[in-house]
Amino acid sequence: MKKECVAMLLAGGQGSRLYALTRSVAKPAVPFGAKYRIIDFPLSNCVNSGIDTVGVLTQYRPMELNAYLGNGQPWDLDKSEGGVHVLPPYLGAGEKGSWYKGTANAIYQNIDFIDMYNPEYVLILSGDHIYKMDYDKMLDFHKAQNAAATISVLEVTMEEATRFGIMNVDENDVIYEFEEKPKHPKSNLASMGIYIFTWSKLREALIADENDPTSKNDFGGNIIPNLIGKGETCVAYRFGGYWKDVGTIASLWDANMDLLDINSGIQVFDKGWPIYARTNVCPPHVDGPKAEITHSLVAGGCEIDGVVDNSVIFENVTVEEGATVRYSVIMPGAVVKAGAKVEYAILAEDTTVEANAVVGEDKGAIAVVAGGVTVDEGATVPAGAMYTEESKGGVA
Amino acid sequence: MLNNVHGLLMTNQPGYNLKELSSIRSISSVPYGGRYRLVDFILSNMVDDGISDIGVVLQQSYQSLLDHLGSGKDWDLARRHGGLRLLPPFSMGNDQQHNYQGMMDALTGLRSYLDEIEQEYIIIADADIVLNISLSKVFDQHLATGADVTAVCSKKYTDRPGYATYYTLAEDGTADEILSKSVPNSYEALNIYVISKAKLIELVGYSAARGLYSFSHQVLANKDKLGLKVVPYIFEGYVARFPTVADYFEKSMDLLKKDVRDDLFNPDHPIRSKDRSAPAAYYGPDSKVVGSMVSDGCVIEGTVENSILFRNVKVGKGAAVKNCILMKDTDVGDSASLNCVICDKSVTISPNRTLSGCETYPIVYSKGTRI
Repeated sequence: MKKECVAMLLAGGQGSRLYALTRSVAKPAVPFGAKYRIIDFPLSNCVNSGIDTVGVLTQYRPMELNAYLGNGQPWDLDKSEGGVHVLPPYLGAGEKGSWYKGTANAIYQNIDFIDMYNPEYVLILSGDHIYKMDYDKMLDFHKAQNAAATISVLEVTMEEATRFGIMNVDENDVIYEFEEKPKHPKSNLASMGIYIFTWSKLREALIADENDPTSKNDFGGNIIPNLIGKGETCVAYRFGGYWKDVGTIASLWDANMDLLDINSGIQVFDKGWPIYARTNVCPPHVDGPKAEITHSLVAGGCEIDGVVDNSVIFENVTVEEGATVRYSVIMPGAVVKAGAKVEYAILAEDTTVEANAVVGEDKGAIAVVAGGVTVDEGATVPAGAMYTEESKGGVA
Repeated sequence: MLNNVHGLLMTNQPGYNLKELSSIRSISSVPYGGRYRLVDFILSNMVDDGISDIGVVLQQSYQSLLDHLGSGKDWDLARRHGGLRLLPPFSMGNDQQHNYQGMMDALTGLRSYLDEIEQEYIIIADADIVLNISLSKVFDQHLATGADVTAVCSKKYTDRPGYATYYTLAEDGTADEILSKSVPNSYEALNIYVISKAKLIELVGYSAARGLYSFSHQVLANKDKLGLKVVPYIFEGYVARFPTVADYFEKSMDLLKKDVRDDLFNPDHPIRSKDRSAPAAYYGPDSKVVGSMVSDGCVIEGTVENSILFRNVKVGKGAAVKNCILMKDTDVGDSASLNCVICDKSVTISPNRTLSGCETYPIVYSKGTRI
């Protein structure tokens, strides 16, 4: 069945800078915002924008991501035509197969999948950004500009521009040059890693790119410059809303904290643009007689009897009486025992902080405890530490 | 795994007076415990123990129950083969609307459904009860004792006046007397039964011929005459039923006790419910919440004590909520004060209002009230 627009979500990223959180899961499956995983944002954006066919390209540690996506039912993507499809790298008969060599190669390897829906347009997304965006408006812009490619951009400061892929544009926002992390940026329009292509043009460009042995098979570095070089129209689509790359511990923590700030521009309580998630069966959370919870998000199944301030608490977390959790992100199943203190920290899934242990410090760099790890009674995890089973002897 | 067992739920029970809470819905869909409906408990117990064919017998005001159950997908019952079957009442051949008086006349009307059941055994239960029971264990006992009917009973009286039956035990563990009032050493029947399909159909036929409608009072109570071997299964866990608003209030507050929660909400035997997408609860900078159950989607800016908040409840700045049960979408305005109040869904309380009931007689505001 023909679809006007198919989305392809690049979810293979290893997320090496988040390593204590991504040792067993791909970055898009990292928990976020008390009830979600990072991938829920682009997936929900697709559904809210009327896009019902999404290919999710997986590579690194796909098991948990595959299980999470399932048949796509939580996002209403369990469709008889379209829906969500997990697309791992594969080996064809008699072919030399390989991992996805780059973002463009990942799409190249799935040309057959896209052709199956014979779309006019293809939307390329990343699985590691937090934002709410109506892709349908971007598609309207793409059509109105009669473009081959439309790249969503964010205005950043000139200082920040040195850390992004920058689009240099003319007075009509037509892109004439792409620069990756320029030392002396000519523009402040940073690529958000969200592209709409006219499929026929992209298909051609992907095949040409694959035949070029010198190419890095990257959208920003190869495909876009090649299209510009061929004289195709590539335009910048200016996005004014909240957008954050959560590829580092600091930015992941920041984005979680932003959910607590009504003025941050990212709201999970906005009924007009809901974010959907696969949720576990758990009862409402219970606040004990000694609970003191302020300025926080708390999910179901938790038992809170300590102090929780400025924090994001996922499902089935226990904070015992006399424990303190401040400015922290506590992922599902974690336990913070009596007298323990957790500040400016991220506790991954099923961690235990034993009595009187200390994790992080006030206004310090974010301390991270990896999934399933126990911080022993009275132990200290210093600010900025990545605390794993292996590193335990060293820092504890 | 109970793959040779069919589930049948009776959703409309007489003998209740939950006033505003049950006037717009059947007892089975009365909201309870922050995110559940009463039917979720026994339905989840059936699913958790592997029963995958379940019929739900509907009678009156079942709109809300239909909305809640939907296709059954939240219980994994939306199936190509079997799954959830909703059984609304239908005319018995005369023009008067037929109201079931009890289980037996309801099943008489469902005779063709009973005939088509593929499983050899049936677990039939009232869907008005809060408990987490291993039905596998009940079924194992049923097979081991060779009973015609196994009746789940509890020592913990749930005080359901005028309707419950009580069992005394003979020395061999079978039912001795089945009574309408409790006596010393009697057990209260929880209206959860195991019976073979063949025996149930036989008893439905017997009842239809004699105009009997009550399974417990008119059939089981005559077990000796009918030659039925009835064996109670003594359930030791937490049980709650609430015929009155005061019971509902008191038993709801039981959920604030950890031992009750541990008994009901076992992660290996979970209580499932309709999944409504909502963000986590948000606590504002000046919130103070103690001794309370709080559901997803709540936004709390004020003070909450000893209360149960359902999903998407808003408590405004400076508002004080104490000893209350506030159902989904209740909106408590800034500086309002509530004590011993039950608000049904979508009640709006204007800022600065003070509302107070008492624990033995909480005030109930019906769905959608604006104060």
